[in-house]
Amino acid sequence: MTDTTTTSKTPWDDHGNLEVLTFDVGSERLAIEATDIREIVDLLPETRVPGAPPLVASIVNYRGKIIPIADLRIAFGMPIAAATPDSRIVVIETPIDGEATHIGLRTDKVHEVAVLSRQDSSDPPQVGLRWRREFVREFVRQADGVIVLPCLAAIFETAPRQLGSGPLAA
Amino acid sequence: MTASILTVDDSSSLRLATRIALTGAGYTVTEACDGLEGLGKAQGQKFDMIITDLNMPNMDGLSMIREIRKLPVQMGTPIIFLTTESDDALKQEARAAGATGWLVKPFQPDQLLRIAKKVLGR
Amino acid sequence: MSDQDPIAAFRVEAGDLLDQIEQALLDLSNRLDDRGLIDAVFRGLHTLKGSGAMFGFDALATFTHHCETAFDRVRKGFFPATAELVHVILSAMDHMRALVDGDGSGLEATGAAILGRLQAALPESGTVTAAPETEDAAPEAASEGAGGWHLRFRLPPSALANGTNPLSLLDELRELGECRVVALCDALPPLPDLIPTECLIGWDVTLTGAIAREAIEDVFIFVMDDMDMELTPLASVAIESAAGPAPQPEPGSSLPAAPVVATPATDAAARQAPRAGESVRVPAERLDVLMDRVGELVIVQSRLSQLANSGLIGASGEVALRSISEEIERLVSEMRDTMMVLRMVPVANLFGRFRRLIHDLARDTGKAIELLTEGEATEVDKTVTEQLADPIVHLIRNACDHGLETPEERLAAGKPATGRVMLTAAHAGGEVLITITDDGRGINRERVRAKAESNGLIQPGQALSDHELLQMIFHPGFSTAAQVTNLSGRGVGMDVVKRTIEGLRGTIDIASQEGKGSTFTLRIPLTLAIIEGLLVRVANGCYVIPLAAVEECIELTAEEDRRTRGRSMIQLRDALVPFLRLHDLFDTGAEPDEHQKIVVISAAGERVGLVVDQIIGSHQTVIKSMSGVHRDVHSFSGATILGDGSVALILDIMQLVATGQQREARLRAVG
Repeated sequence: MTDTTTTSKTPWDDHGNLEVLTFDVGSERLAIEATDIREIVDLLPETRVPGAPPLVASIVNYRGKIIPIADLRIAFGMPIAAATPDSRIVVIETPIDGEATHIGLRTDKVHEVAVLSRQDSSDPPQVGLRWRREFVREFVRQADGVIVLPCLAAIFETAPRQLGSGPLAA
Repeated sequence: MTASILTVDDSSSLRLATRIALTGAGYTVTEACDGLEGLGKAQGQKFDMIITDLNMPNMDGLSMIREIRKLPVQMGTPIIFLTTESDDALKQEARAAGATGWLVKPFQPDQLLRIAKKVLGR
Repeated sequence: MSDQDPIAAFRVEAGDLLDQIEQALLDLSNRLDDRGLIDAVFRGLHTLKGSGAMFGFDALATFTHHCETAFDRVRKGFFPATAELVHVILSAMDHMRALVDGDGSGLEATGAAILGRLQAALPESGTVTAAPETEDAAPEAASEGAGGWHLRFRLPPSALANGTNPLSLLDELRELGECRVVALCDALPPLPDLIPTECLIGWDVTLTGAIAREAIEDVFIFVMDDMDMELTPLASVAIESAAGPAPQPEPGSSLPAAPVVATPATDAAARQAPRAGESVRVPAERLDVLMDRVGELVIVQSRLSQLANSGLIGASGEVALRSISEEIERLVSEMRDTMMVLRMVPVANLFGRFRRLIHDLARDTGKAIELLTEGEATEVDKTVTEQLADPIVHLIRNACDHGLETPEERLAAGKPATGRVMLTAAHAGGEVLITITDDGRGINRERVRAKAESNGLIQPGQALSDHELLQMIFHPGFSTAAQVTNLSGRGVGMDVVKRTIEGLRGTIDIASQEGKGSTFTLRIPLTLAIIEGLLVRVANGCYVIPLAAVEECIELTAEEDRRTRGRSMIQLRDALVPFLRLHDLFDTGAEPDEHQKIVVISAAGERVGLVVDQIIGSHQTVIKSMSGVHRDVHSFSGATILGDGSVALILDIMQLVATGQQREARLRAVG
């Protein structure tokens, strides 16, 4: 957990650019570094894990591995919604307790691989944010709105313990 | 037609090194991991040359050489044995058993190839 | 397929070889005159030296050479194998391992010390000398043969049969310089007596050019000792040729009588050196990848099967497709079964290492110790055995050092002089159960209490149950440097043992009786092992219950169901058993089926009934661990992929039994 400060830094390159995949979760457009993306797959049959934190309430068989499915709506306090024909699972790889872990993010629509520029970026505001501040690294302004760069490390390292849990969690 | 060579050694790393050297030079290599298996392979197929270790479980190299020399199919097949000692008594014994020549371990790939070329005459 | 790096192959092979030598040495320490074992040790050392030198492990080759020489002398009867010699060579094993793993730098002093002890362990006559292996080629005067050579040679009659080809020898001579070859046929018998495989022809060769004598001798290197050869510098040819043909050698005269007796492989040798080719080494991660691929194949197969049965394909095509689909289904399921067992290794590999440990400990403590093992065939995932090694080493050290008494003390206490350490392994309730038992003095409660008090872990006079008191030895603050002995002080403490076991999601228990001995019981879940599971359904979810933990399955009658609502005990024949309604526990939010079943499970002597909707059947399953985000979910020990590609959770029996017990206790407290 001590390294959340380092992992939460956005890895802009020397020219202040960052290649990302953009996708929608609820009403927000999010972006994750292309280097963290493993694959985009159709929805998979999910198995609910009783007692698991709502953020990661189910698991799937992803290429023979058991991986958790995360619903970022929970992290960002958005209402749960049913899947649409555009829904996809974005499989990412991120360290959990120092171990590289595959996690499937449930998304409502996957857009494109884009290059963001640091010049368009700003830190999340100190006040007035609807979300927990540590879950957001930066906002990046685009012509058609704002893209949120979530801090996956903070979300997955701390969220399971803090974001409520079912009756079975210790 | 490439020459076919049977290598008999209980050390898989040595077989591997030998195979890499020999196949690299265009020879076809068959492997056996002890004297018993070597004898079995020699009973089934005529080889152009046999390279064998002496110290092996199940059947040692000298016994294998003596048995192979009784096989009509291997009449005149050159048999080279590997040894760590330059022990004349041992060489004498191995030749008496029917070995053609020897190669002292450790050896370099080119030494092995020179011996192969020497006994195969090509 | 196999790794193409001979160095890596050598390291792996050398490791195996060292293990085999070590086992043979340990056996030898009990049967010092066993010829088979002496041969096995010698052969192992010999091979190690030879291969080591081949692959550039010079320090290893040199060091091993000394040990090999010593054993060669034993083998040849110069002196007998002694316990001291065996011990020194055993201690040399570790040094050899270090030389195999590294480049040998910084280890010279260790090696020299061991060789010093080796020297001391040998009788005078057996002094080990670092006999340098040099070819004794006598250098010749360079000027000799500057103009060329005349040589006349006859091969031994057996040369042709033994693989020497005279033509290629002549070819080699031709490569040295200009050659004139004349065949000498004087020794040929009349045709009826001629044996075609015997070589009776001689050759007279005149070689011109500046050629060194060694170059010519090199051509004949393999037959030199058995052949007749006259080699003279060309200047004296005239004289030589006047001497007439050389006398014919008596056939076979130079061949010593060699006994044609195959050395039978001894039992010991056969055991020490299993035939290569019976097993292949594969990096574990490749198996993981393969396993994942099989998992994918299962899913694709189930989609194919759905398509084949969907009616979307024309009638004629459907029959054909269905038969193909069924065939693939069979193959995939067989492949899956095969995959499951690949990662499993018997704990015998692990237990084997401890024989050496006991040997060393017995020597170092001056105690007589025997090691008994049981359940060595129990199979455990390879990574589990690797992680168990250190904790078990510590527990064995502890048992030998603190537990077992000296032979005198034992005899005084009416026990056999030889102390006993017993290692067992077994599968139980989806776990591996490993016990380490000694028949020593047991844990002295008063001393544990005194130490815990003096270290400030408990208040003086604080009330503790016997269990709590024994648990003190696992406390990080319990063991202090002043008290650890030379043996147990090395490496880890009991707190680290406990942490390691818990890191494997396992538990460690102690039972100890003063004067009788102690037993440490490790329970380790089979993280990647196969278990037989009972597949059950709760609402729309499938769950796996480790079959070994299942005692029985009974119907929950509608009447009983109503009667027990709001309570959590059920009358099971003569006993009240707590039960858990999985619908409630898993918060399904769905209505239970009409005819529910109770699966009675047991763990650590306690029983709990699990109420489920349906029992689907038994299912062989691979436990897959869940990711770190689910580490706080305690009801499940892992998950598994079912035949249709979907995921089922595996119930954590220990945890559920504990939950059941808590409820029962709460109920008792209330009522």
